Parts: sequence; structure tokens; C-alpha cells
Amino acid sequence: MTSTAGAEASIALLGQPNSGKSTLFNALTGARQRVGNWPGKTVEKKEGYYTRAGVHYHVADLPGTYSLSANSEEEIITRDHIASGGADVVCILADSSQLSRSLFMLADYAGIRCPAVLLLNLMDVAEKQGKQVDAAELEKRLGIPVVPFVAADLRQYEPFHEAVERALKQKTLIDTGSLTAKYRALEGQVYEQVLALLPAEGLGRYSADWIAAKLLEGDQAVQAAVEEQLSAEKKHELRTFLSQVSNGALETAGAKFQWVDELLDGVLVQSGKKAALSRFDRLATHRRWGKPLAILIILLGLIASFFPAAPIMLAGGMIPQLGAPIGAALSAIGAPQLLIDLMSQVVLNTLYFAVAMIGFVFGVNLVFGFLEEIGYMARVSYVFDGTMTRLGLQGKAVMPLVVSFGCTIGGAAGTRVIDSWAQRVLTIALAWVVPCAATWAIVPVIASLFFGAWAPLVIVAIFVVAGLHMLVTAKVFGSRLIRDEDRAGLIMELPPYHRPRWGALLRSILVRTWDILSRALRIIFIVSLVFWLVTYSAGGSPDGSLLYRFGRAIEPVTMFFGLTWQTFLAYISSMVSKEAALGVLGSLYLGAGSIFSSTLGGSGPQMATGLSEALLASLSAPAALAFIFAVTFNAPCLMAITSTYQETRSLKWTLRILAYYFATSLLLAAIVYHVAGLFL
Amino acid sequence: MRNLHEVKAGQRAVIVDVQGSSRFLSRATSIGLTRGLEIEMLHNEARLPLLLFGRDTVIALNREDGQQIQVEVVA
Repeated sequence: MTSTAGAEASIALLGQPNSGKSTLFNALTGARQRVGNWPGKTVEKKEGYYTRAGVHYHVADLPGTYSLSANSEEEIITRDHIASGGADVVCILADSSQLSRSLFMLADYAGIRCPAVLLLNLMDVAEKQGKQVDAAELEKRLGIPVVPFVAADLRQYEPFHEAVERALKQKTLIDTGSLTAKYRALEGQVYEQVLALLPAEGLGRYSADWIAAKLLEGDQAVQAAVEEQLSAEKKHELRTFLSQVSNGALETAGAKFQWVDELLDGVLVQSGKKAALSRFDRLATHRRWGKPLAILIILLGLIASFFPAAPIMLAGGMIPQLGAPIGAALSAIGAPQLLIDLMSQVVLNTLYFAVAMIGFVFGVNLVFGFLEEIGYMARVSYVFDGTMTRLGLQGKAVMPLVVSFGCTIGGAAGTRVIDSWAQRVLTIALAWVVPCAATWAIVPVIASLFFGAWAPLVIVAIFVVAGLHMLVTAKVFGSRLIRDEDRAGLIMELPPYHRPRWGALLRSILVRTWDILSRALRIIFIVSLVFWLVTYSAGGSPDGSLLYRFGRAIEPVTMFFGLTWQTFLAYISSMVSKEAALGVLGSLYLGAGSIFSSTLGGSGPQMATGLSEALLASLSAPAALAFIFAVTFNAPCLMAITSTYQETRSLKWTLRILAYYFATSLLLAAIVYHVAGLFL
Repeated sequence: MRNLHEVKAGQRAVIVDVQGSSRFLSRATSIGLTRGLEIEMLHNEARLPLLLFGRDTVIALNREDGQQIQVEVVA
């Protein structure tokens, strides 16, 4: 691991959910991190680095899993990373406030021949519960460095760094003697019989002891790897033997917890005892009040997220006003008009969009990151588990869906609290169905214009279609994103509440926000530029633009979907900004103002004078209905698309979702148009 | 002996056996549900997951999966 340029070392962070891995990862790496996916997998990969005393440390934040079995993609990745030599030292995090349970990961790791450090995180929470842990004694029993720790407190990192250095230098491995003694004591001496069939030296980083336990647990992946090393005869023997073992995982887990309990005997001292559920928790998990409370808190959270967002969005809103002075300055130095237009329309609007979006994303992440951090989101997951699993989602997904009624950008950003990447993509795909606030600025106006008192019926129809849409979309995307074997019933922990660690929370959010801003700027700029080019017309009226000519040319096609060239262009513009649909209709029907400025100019969803008459004169009722459905179920807006890209970090999936919504909204429009044509 | 999902809220019970696929066994045991563990049922409501307390942890468990865990009620 030593190179000429300087020493290097790789660290992997291993721990159960809620053990504070992400906090540690962010504290260590700060802005020096990269988020991607594990090659070929639908699981997020977080890597980063830090330098200390001339050593360059690579840090991999392994997916949060409860064990090292091969039950999910996350667990397989975690194991493979360690087994393949991806780490020189593994930092195992345990939650000190629930030590006996969370040390299971340590027990499951014991026997892997890669140096390890045990971090007793959340020590402050444990102390508040009246728990004392004798870390020095535990270290003696385990044979690896043990550090009492508060990951959110940057002042406590010195012992951590020393422990890592010690583990690297001394190659500290967990003393497994007393654990294997427990395995040996299992009924029928199954453990020793399996062990006898294995190569004594183990397999790479897996010791024979570790392999034997995993084989008893029915671990297919380990069995396949071991069988490759065995003679045909021994392989047969092993298979025959393992086929007779039942309940292996239960037996070995019993042994592991016995070992943990022995380790903690005299090490963990508990004084006083608190009720399992606080009074608030009894309400938060109540069969009747849990759900309304969750919705209420999410709605309040949505409102609260505007407070940190508002100053940023306000500042962003002032950017377009720079257009006039900058334009004047540019023309004063003799810049061509095209450049001035480009500057004042595309560049400034890009900045405005990106800053406004970032403000809102920041607010949503701060508020819902806070709710996640203190432990409340796990309660939401619990009360909404039944409802959401019907869509193939986890309970927490209710939050992004509710937030999407306000704004899809916030919904997409809110999926950050969902720990599985595949679940996050699926949630975003479904959040796009939810009609956002902008929808209600357009739909009722057109609906009441064409259907008068019957307009509410249109709204009802939208909700019914949205419900069906969700069921179908959940099927379409769920089957591609989530493997059947990963669709297991809920087993999760509701972590104890703890006070927010504002520093750590803000740090991680600022790092992500900055990353988002730089990427969002690029996307929004490119799309705005393209949109500007196709809507550019020298004279200023819409009919000089490429988009106009395109719309006219394919009107025979769009009429199949019930869209005239005007409503089709408004529909296309609504993918950039939904509020713009009316403004674009105005500029097209009345021939005033360019499509670009009515889409991005922020004129808002007002009916231009004379537009009502023009619409009534040129659109049939079925065509109006088709337009309503096309716009409602279209991609929400450019910023939501960008935000989707940020959270999925997959251009492929973002484009898939986009294409899906483009196609389905046109399909819905066609159905509505032709069915309504039979009656209206 | 009865199944976990038959334990009433407020009752305490000791886990006697856990059944099911090795996948389920591994998931249930890794969160601490092993033989001999004494748990307290916190919530047992129709249409909500079971909520129990064991090993210092509040654990939510799918109702159907609760049928695969046998317990002996102690109080």
C-alpha cells in the first residue's frame, strides 16, 4: 500500500443503519467525496478521502446493513468489498445506546482477516440513558482498538485517528476464540463437522471459522465460492451435510449474541430504566393518530422549508433584473444583439432557475434531514408501511409524495432520507404523478372556461387518473428497479430520538447542495440554450421560430392526441415550466411575445386579455380536456427533471422517467380526447 | 406457546423458536430476534406492523412475519 508519492491506506466504514456511518463519512471527507453507484448495481457508492500525517486515506462508506449475510444486494456488496481487499482497515460502528443489538455486526464480522477498529458511536446518547461502557476492558477482550465516540463531534476525532493508525500498524484482528467455542457447542456438533470439510487455511480473507458459520446459515454465495476449492467428493459430502442442517442461521445467531452478551458482561453498566416508548412516540405510532400526525408534520415541514429557502430564492429572483443593465453595458461596448439576448435571456435565466431551485432543495433537505436525524422518519415509515408497500415503496416514501403536492422539486430532493437507491428512484418516478401546485394554477382556469360548473368533475377525474397512474407506474418501474428477493417484509429498528447535530447536518447538506448547484447550472443552461434556439425568432413574434414551424408541421400527428399546434407547443413548454402553459398559449393565440420569455419570463399563470375568447373559439371541449391531461401528467418542469437527476445520479434513469412521462401523458391525452369526443 | 402476532400489547414473552427461510432467519436474527430473548409487545394493531421492544431496541416487524416466531408469554 506504500507508493513513492506517499503512504496510502483504505478504510471501509461498516455498520448497521442508524449507527452514524454517514456522519462519520462526512466528517472525515468533507467536500472530498464522490457519490456514484457500485458497478452494475442499483446501490449507492460513497467514496472520499482525507490526508493525515502524510498518509492519504481512501474512505468507502459501505451500505448500511444489519448483517454480512447475502440477503440483499447491499449485503453482498459490503461483503465483496471487504473480501476483495478493498480495505486495509474496517471501522465497525456500533450504536452505544443499543450496544448488545448493534454489536451483532461485529460478531458477524469476526473471523474475516482484515484489521478492524470498533467505534462505540452515539456515546452521548448512551450516557444520557444511564449507560456506562468500559471501552478499555472491551478492547482487551476483543483484541482490536475500541474507541468511545461521538461521530458528530469533530473535537473527538483524535482517538479515532490513533486507533486507525494502530490497527493499520499492528494489523489487529478480532480474537474469535470465545466465539468459535460457542459455535462448537452448537447441538449435534454441526459446526465442527462442517469445519472438517473445509480447507483449514480458509479462503482469502475469510477464515475457515467464518466460512463454517456462514455455511450453516445457508449462505449460497459463500457455499459456491468454497465448492470451487473442494474435490468432487468433498463437495458432495458438504452438500449432503448442509442439506440436513435446518435453522442454521438461528443457531449461529444465538451463539453470536451469547458471545456479545459475554463481551458486555461487566463492560456495559446500566443505571435506571426508561419506558420503551415516550409519550410522543405513543402518539407517533398510534394506529389512528400516527398517520395524521405524520402528514401534519410533513406539511409543516414543507412550510418550514421555505424559511431557509426564501432568502436564497429571493436573491435568485433578482438575477433577471440584471438583464437591463448588463444589456445596456454590452450594447455600449458594441456587442451584437444576439449575444445580448443570449446573455440577458439564457444566462441570467439559468442562474435564476438554478438558484431558486437550490434554495428550495436546501430548505427541504435541511428540514427533512433534521426529521430523519432526530429519528422521526422511522416512525413515519412504521405507520405508512402498509399503505406504501402496496406501491412497492417503503413507508418513508409518503413524505416525498406529500411534498410533491407542493412542488415536485422538493419531492425529489426529499427522497434523500430513503436509504436505498432503487427505492429512491422508484419514489421519484411516482412523485412525478402527484399534481404539483402549478397544476392547480392552470387546470381550474381552463376547466372552468370550458366546463363551467362541471369543472370540479375534471379535478376529480385528475385525482382518479393520478391514483391509477401511480399503480401502473409502480408496476412498470418497480419491476425494473427492485428485485423480487429484495421485496421483503419490514424488519427495522425505530432508533431512539436524539437531539439534532446541527453542525454535522449543515455540513453534509452544504456539501451536497454545492455539488447540486454546479451540476444543475450545466443542465439548466444547456436545456435553456436549446429551448432559446428553437424558440428564437428575429422579429420577436412566435412565428419566426423553429419550434413554431415544427409545431405546425406535425400538427396532423399531434391532433391524434387532441393537441392543436398551439396546445402542443404549450405542452412542450410545460416540460420546462408548468406555470408557463397559459402564457405560451397567450403568445401563440394572440401572437404577442416570444415563447421563450413567456415560458421563462416568470409572468405567472395569468390569462392574457382576449385569450379566453380565442381559446373558446378555436378549441373543442375534448381538445381542451386533452390539453389539461397532457399538461397535468407531463414531466413536472425542468427543475424537477434536474432535481431528479441529482437524486438518482443516473442520466439513464432520469431520461427513462422523462420518456415514460412524455409518452404516457400523450397517451392519456389521446384516450381522453377520443373518449370525450364520443360524449361532448 | 403461541405466535408472536398473538401476543397482546403490554405483554412480555420469550422467543422460543423462529421459523422460515434462511433469508428470513438471517434478517430476523441480525436485528436481535433470537431464541431466549425476552421481548415486550408495544403495539399490536391490525394493519400496522408489530412493534416490540427487545435488546434495548424498538423493533418494527411485518405482521405476517410475526406468525413465524413462536413465543411463550411470561406476563
